Amino acid sequence: MQSKIIVLAEHDGKVPREISLELLGLAHRIKEGSEVKAVLLGSGIESAAAELASRGAAEVVYVEGTAVENYNVDAFRKSIEPILNDEAPDLVLIGHTPNGWDVAAPLAGRLGVPLVTGCAQITMSDERTLFTRKAFNGKFVHQVEVTGARPLLATVDKGASAPFDGTTSGTVRKIESRLSLEDLRASYIETRAGETGGLDLREADVIVSAGRGVGGPDKLGVVRELAEALGGQLGASRAVTDAGWLPHEHQIGSSGVSVSPKLYVACGISGAIQHVVGMKGSGYIVAINKDPDAPIFGVAHVGVVGDLFEIVPALTKALREAKGR
Amino acid sequence: MKSLVLVKQVPDANSVFRINAEGTWIDESNLSFAMNDYDRYALEELLKLKDAGKLEEVVALTVGSPEASSVLRTCLAMGADRAIHVKHEASSRLDPLSIARLVVAATRDQDFSLILAGLQADDDNHTQIGGLVAGVLDWPSATAVMSLELKDGGTLRVERELENNELQVVDLKLPAVLSVQTGINSPRYATLKGIMGAKKKPVTTLTAADLGVEATSGLRSVSLSPPPTGKGADVLSGSPDEVATQLVSRIREKTGVL
Ligand SMILES: Cc1cc2nc3c(=O)[nH]c(=O)nc-3n(C[C@H](O)[C@H](O)[C@H](O)COP(=O)(O)OP(=O)(O)OC[C@H]3O[C@@H](n4cnc5c(N)ncnc54)[C@H](O)[C@@H]3O)c2cc1C
Repeated sequence: MQSKIIVLAEHDGKVPREISLELLGLAHRIKEGSEVKAVLLGSGIESAAAELASRGAAEVVYVEGTAVENYNVDAFRKSIEPILNDEAPDLVLIGHTPNGWDVAAPLAGRLGVPLVTGCAQITMSDERTLFTRKAFNGKFVHQVEVTGARPLLATVDKGASAPFDGTTSGTVRKIESRLSLEDLRASYIETRAGETGGLDLREADVIVSAGRGVGGPDKLGVVRELAEALGGQLGASRAVTDAGWLPHEHQIGSSGVSVSPKLYVACGISGAIQHVVGMKGSGYIVAINKDPDAPIFGVAHVGVVGDLFEIVPALTKALREAKGR
Repeated sequence: MKSLVLVKQVPDANSVFRINAEGTWIDESNLSFAMNDYDRYALEELLKLKDAGKLEEVVALTVGSPEASSVLRTCLAMGADRAIHVKHEASSRLDPLSIARLVVAATRDQDFSLILAGLQADDDNHTQIGGLVAGVLDWPSATAVMSLELKDGGTLRVERELENNELQVVDLKLPAVLSVQTGINSPRYATLKGIMGAKKKPVTTLTAADLGVEATSGLRSVSLSPPPTGKGADVLSGSPDEVATQLVSRIREKTGVL
């Protein structure tokens, strides 16, 4: 039985975002011979739509208009809903991105169908569709199945799938948006940069990061001393900056900064996906955590299972000795 | 104006988790539970609005097992005015859509203008209850909210967190549903006076049957397993001094920073 999969694509102005190409790649791998389409919303997006049609979509339906020029939950949901009703897909793939999850859940609520979020893998047969995702912030892999609902709706993690590697000659169909901004209950005002201090961790060769495992602002000293002994900068997980133990500018991860030092030392950090995406490009990763099952050990090159208050000072001392001080 | 906060009881993150006999979820016996971290920020945001005289009432609601009443007591002790407990013995097996339907049924006709939820729960990481409730109610919504301001004329200005330290500013017409990101504020702790006072505050208890909602599990958990091994860290062993010496030589060999 042929299945129909719709990808809800995102773009940065003129170009499709990488996640959209990844979703197209995943859509082709989920089930052999599926019909894959894409939906795109925006203003002046014809070229982005054409690109999707050449990179995996058999048809791209794009909605043009001022109401959908910028992402807006009300306009997006109201534009996508009728397309899904007309197309009657078996599965809809949405990026697990800030705008993706923002629209996915209201859409699911309106359609009255379950939603599976943060998927890394999806497999489909005529009998069942299995969604592989994470639970407990990455400590476990969770497989779920949706019973008795159509369409199936899923958000997919960035970087979880390879983009479609062939070329397609899909068609492009434009829908003029008839929504007017005045009728909407949500309106986009602007996008702005968050606060930053003077610190720029993106240039650092060595970063030593503290996580919630450090336990409090008064206990950051051992981590700071290791950073000093290595001539590096102090980074942090979100748990640390949220708690105000360090300013926001130290935060590494999806909502903080992405870094790629030669050496990254994670002290008392569990390794949630949102932290990992910001530091996995580091040259050499050392993890110190007392939980042997912490997901950080899955991305680290070398790990020590133990109390950071014993390991970190010993490492600082050994480094100072090695440097002859 | 009346407001509602959706809260959930989740296993304490420092617990040692064991997978249940069916291999479908964690074994929930003998765990200690706490209020989902994200929800504490959502509650604090409403309490701040109430302190500023902008809200009349803050109500806390959970859909959860009988034991989950303890998170409602925490909310009342922190400052919520009353609580609603939709009791469900197997709430961890309910799908999020059923939970959203229960929330909507339990609060229908109560005239809430603002509903807040945490962005996600630390156990199932679903990231969807707020948005689902908005969809079922057909209200506007926003997720990963990092600031909110009530404006005149029934509008709300919110800042949503995007990626790479960017924020999106959005206006929403009330009534609306928001899911709150951590770090938006500094959640307060319950005071002794708050804890004592909480005992006198009303808690309404309801069930799915009372609400006429058929709570199902349209989203069925097939398996829960540890992440695949194979790649990953070389784990060093020995005394702290021994591992430190090994680490220094690894760092010297692999990084060129020494
Ligand atoms: C949309 C979104 C965006 C996010 N953005 C980011 C982001 O940019 N950056 C980010 O970091 N997070 C981000 N998060 C949060 C992320 O999901 C995690 O909650 C966060 O990374 C956890 O921080 P942590 O590892 O320090 O704390 P926890 O997960 O609490 O981990 C603490 C670790 O310390 C260990 N530990 C405790 N005591 C000791 C000790 N004495 N010695 C050794 N180890 C010890 C524990 O075993 C545990 O593994 C985001 C979440 C969402 C939903």
